[in-house]
Amino acid sequence: MELFFDFQLTSILFLLFVGFVGGLVSGFIGAGGAFIFTPAMMSLGIPAIVAVASNLCYMFPKALQGGLKRIKYGQVDVKLGTIMGLSALIGVACGSLLQIEIKNIFGEVSSNIYVSSVFVVILAILGAYALKSAWYIYKYPGRREKKITNTIAMWVQSIHIPGTMMYFRSIETKVSLLFVFPLGFAVGLLAGTIAVSGFVGVTVTMYILGVPGLIASATELMIAFAMGIGGTIIYGLYGFVDIYLAMIILAGSLFGVQLGGVSATYAKDYTIKIVMGSVMILIMISLLLKLPIYLIESLHNNIVISLNYSSFGILVLALVVGASIILYTLIQGKRQSAKARAVARDAQAIAPRYESEYFPTSAKQLSPTGRFEKIMLVTDSSAFSAAATREGIRLAQRTEGELSLMSVVVTNSEHESLAKELIEKENADAIRRLETVKHTANNAGVDCKVYLRRGIEIYQEIVDEAEERRVDLIVMGRRDYTGIMRVLMRSSTAKVIGYAHCSVLVVPRTAKIEGKKILLAVDGSRYSDTAASTVMSLAKHIHAEVLIVSITSTVHKEQRRQDSLDEVTRVGSFLTQEGIQVEEKVLSGNPADTILEIAKAKGVDLIVMGSHGHTGLNKILLGSVSDKVIASAECAILVVKAA
Amino acid sequence: MSKTNQANAVMLTASLGFLSTILYLLLFLFKEPILQLIAQGGWYFLIPITIAFILSYVHGAFVNHFWDVLDVKPNPMGE
Repeated sequence: MELFFDFQLTSILFLLFVGFVGGLVSGFIGAGGAFIFTPAMMSLGIPAIVAVASNLCYMFPKALQGGLKRIKYGQVDVKLGTIMGLSALIGVACGSLLQIEIKNIFGEVSSNIYVSSVFVVILAILGAYALKSAWYIYKYPGRREKKITNTIAMWVQSIHIPGTMMYFRSIETKVSLLFVFPLGFAVGLLAGTIAVSGFVGVTVTMYILGVPGLIASATELMIAFAMGIGGTIIYGLYGFVDIYLAMIILAGSLFGVQLGGVSATYAKDYTIKIVMGSVMILIMISLLLKLPIYLIESLHNNIVISLNYSSFGILVLALVVGASIILYTLIQGKRQSAKARAVARDAQAIAPRYESEYFPTSAKQLSPTGRFEKIMLVTDSSAFSAAATREGIRLAQRTEGELSLMSVVVTNSEHESLAKELIEKENADAIRRLETVKHTANNAGVDCKVYLRRGIEIYQEIVDEAEERRVDLIVMGRRDYTGIMRVLMRSSTAKVIGYAHCSVLVVPRTAKIEGKKILLAVDGSRYSDTAASTVMSLAKHIHAEVLIVSITSTVHKEQRRQDSLDEVTRVGSFLTQEGIQVEEKVLSGNPADTILEIAKAKGVDLIVMGSHGHTGLNKILLGSVSDKVIASAECAILVVKAA
Repeated sequence: MSKTNQANAVMLTASLGFLSTILYLLLFLFKEPILQLIAQGGWYFLIPITIAFILSYVHGAFVNHFWDVLDVKPNPMGE
């Protein structure tokens, strides 16, 4: 393998800077970054084919990570992603082989001309469109642009070609594969030629097939992964992938991409489009200036030098202009957001002075009586949260607790700014769904407020909201994964339990708390005692029997079993005194499996466990019995946190 | 974020940052043998792919936590 870049310290630092700024711009405008990196690498004298190959190598691991995350959130149309991914793979193979043939037959200069020309055309079209769009949004704020895009998608969906139709859940209708395959192929062909994928992939799936913005950007990650790995293998076999180049760009760009994505959430629509349009047009001009050097061999040396400098200068100008606007937007946005929060905090601080005695701080969120005064129901109106929604409302009804409803709209640092109006629609839809749940709660006699948050990590937003509102209990559903997927997709639910300071009630989709029997798992710790006091309160409210279980391992000595028996008896006496009907069991075996088995056998509809409070890194390192129970139980699980 | 969570997050970020730096150092320290292996062709094309996977995963995780610790988060939506 050949190295195509001079790896001096200054060169590495410059490449890191290009990576960071390129990442910043690409994260902000919602593109994968190749449309910046490929021309930037070419400006540094790296052959076009190597720049394309190294960009494909940089693309696929990032797409895989992002894709897995988005699959976890249920945002990927896996069927569409698989079909388009396969056709894109064929496309990228053709594009790469064509590129290699051009290089081998006509030489490096022809390869540079080929890549530059395709870039100039694509960037001119997209850049002009973005600037026109920015001008329209700025001039007519609040007015939607006249779109032909819906018309195209509707036309595509209306074409029925027998034997080729396939249903896609994201579009909620059947579309002919004769559209899907060529589109995937075209996206792949372009990726194999200039390494640009996301930008075109998202646009195509959104505007031609009619896939909603968020799903389009998530599904595109599957396609990008297929193209990235396919292109890397093909170019790698011919020795065109410079792994060092790709990894240096990666090191800088990952910092930039995320920062740019965050900044985009503070930006106005037209700011994003101005940055997008101006950067694209400037890069296009930069590439255009180099074309005469490739095309005319006899060009005077002074002209070559001037063109080279001008091209490089315009490229740097593009990056600096873009980066300045982005960083300014971020700083301004953060300042304004901090001010708004401070105002909200002040307003809150006036009201609850009296209530503070009744609403303990987050460190002691479980009220002394074991009741849940403030309940936060996390709902997304999916099948996974339906049961949680029902039980959350019923619990608030029974305990007369204060109910709040919250939902999280997942933001994506890449691609989403491509379709900001569609993201706004996602927000509006989420609010509408929350209002529907609120209506249901109101009908059940429960008053509630709704809250919507946006963020990259669902669990983090839930935990932050719970802390800010000082809730006692989070009620949420559970996405079900099995086998390797469970290992890969540590669910948001498990993470909320790991990080939240309040108790968490997990209601799987088929679970129903009918008040038949509560299983209380005890282990003699103070966490079990907190759980017991909660069970006492709950059992009274829902008039349920309580099954107290302690598990010992087969390797434990007799003394340990006696301790367990004493513990079960002690907790049993405490609950019996409160007039609750109790059954006591000391069992031997694997704790999680035994709890799950006995819960199923006894028809338990709620498992209550104390949490040892392992959070963050400790939780990851230590794991817990509750993790397995939460992931596998068929009934609802209440994890009670103690300070 | 509570103080305990904050401390854990900082520790995790620092660990991932350290790991990422070590991996990059190893990549450059063993540049010659790595390039020689890749140059052999055939199945050795898996080497750059594996390197890209590992570095992207570790460095990506580090960067995610890094911005999180610095409280660089998307604009949260209010009520």
